[in-house]
Amino acid sequence: MVYLKTPEEWQHHSALLLQARPTTTRITTKYKIPNLASPKYQKPNRRKRDGGEGEQKEQHTGSKVSRAALVLKTYDPESGVVLKLKTDKAADVGRLIAGLGRLGRRMAALPEKAEEAVMEDAEVAEQAAVGGAAAPTGKETTAAINDGKAPQAPGGGGGGGGAKKKKKGKK
Amino acid sequence: MAREHLSNGGFFTQLASLIETTHQKGHGSVYLTQKRLTFGSSDPSPPTAKVPDDPLWDLHPPNPLPLIVRATDGKSHKLDKEGGATAKGGIGRTKNGEKVKLSTVVQPDDIEAFFTRYAEVCKGGMRGLRRRDRSKRKKKIKGRRRGLRRV
Repeated sequence: MVYLKTPEEWQHHSALLLQARPTTTRITTKYKIPNLASPKYQKPNRRKRDGGEGEQKEQHTGSKVSRAALVLKTYDPESGVVLKLKTDKAADVGRLIAGLGRLGRRMAALPEKAEEAVMEDAEVAEQAAVGGAAAPTGKETTAAINDGKAPQAPGGGGGGGGAKKKKKGKK
Repeated sequence: MAREHLSNGGFFTQLASLIETTHQKGHGSVYLTQKRLTFGSSDPSPPTAKVPDDPLWDLHPPNPLPLIVRATDGKSHKLDKEGGATAKGGIGRTKNGEKVKLSTVVQPDDIEAFFTRYAEVCKGGMRGLRRRDRSKRKKKIKGRRRGLRRV
């Protein structure tokens, strides 16, 4: 399981995962309001009181306002890849859901909307689409598609490259 | 609990009230899931039949497929009132018949409109998140001004 740092990274790697496994991949958005009265949130506080310093304790109690969080998770049960993103910023919600819409288009097998940020992906998808149309079940085509995708993963960089490799190993 | 899919509009109404009740309760979660709809559609021929020889069988379906979007409150289990207080883990738990489950099917043509609406509902409902903090910036600016005056 990977927690990605920025929404852009999450978006990028989720798009790659969806491209590889469009049927099984699901995206779950969890909106969570923590229950501060539950034992889970009581425990760490006690620990701090025992061993921690005064300043730390004050900080901890100061931040004890019920603060909701949004966790996005892209999961493919077939390969076991999990990509997660956590945020508590209200400003991210609109952007993230616009991103979900874009990923939704991929899920629905709709062509990518022409946007500068995703042009690279679109080109690869087009190439693959041409190959798929010519011979959908041929194994040669399979290899061709793989070739088309292979240079893209290192180009994206970041931690998701590892996830991508794992998937390929399992195939 | 197998229920019919809601219409997109009905889904949003119920989703908004689900988020609202979670807020009123003060704690809890709302789970939203989106996924390609692969079976149960009205289309007589299954759009994506698995081809065992081709590992990339699902990459390029001939037609765009619908999505299924689900929303739940994640409460699959509830604690038994008798055993719940003492029993830990799964012992005191029973299936919760009142779990909130919503689902809707989004046709490929409606995706654009759906997600626009979806963003509105979520932005409006998820008000527990951190707002952009404008007060800090103002303080900083004030501080700078004061500094300038002193110099």
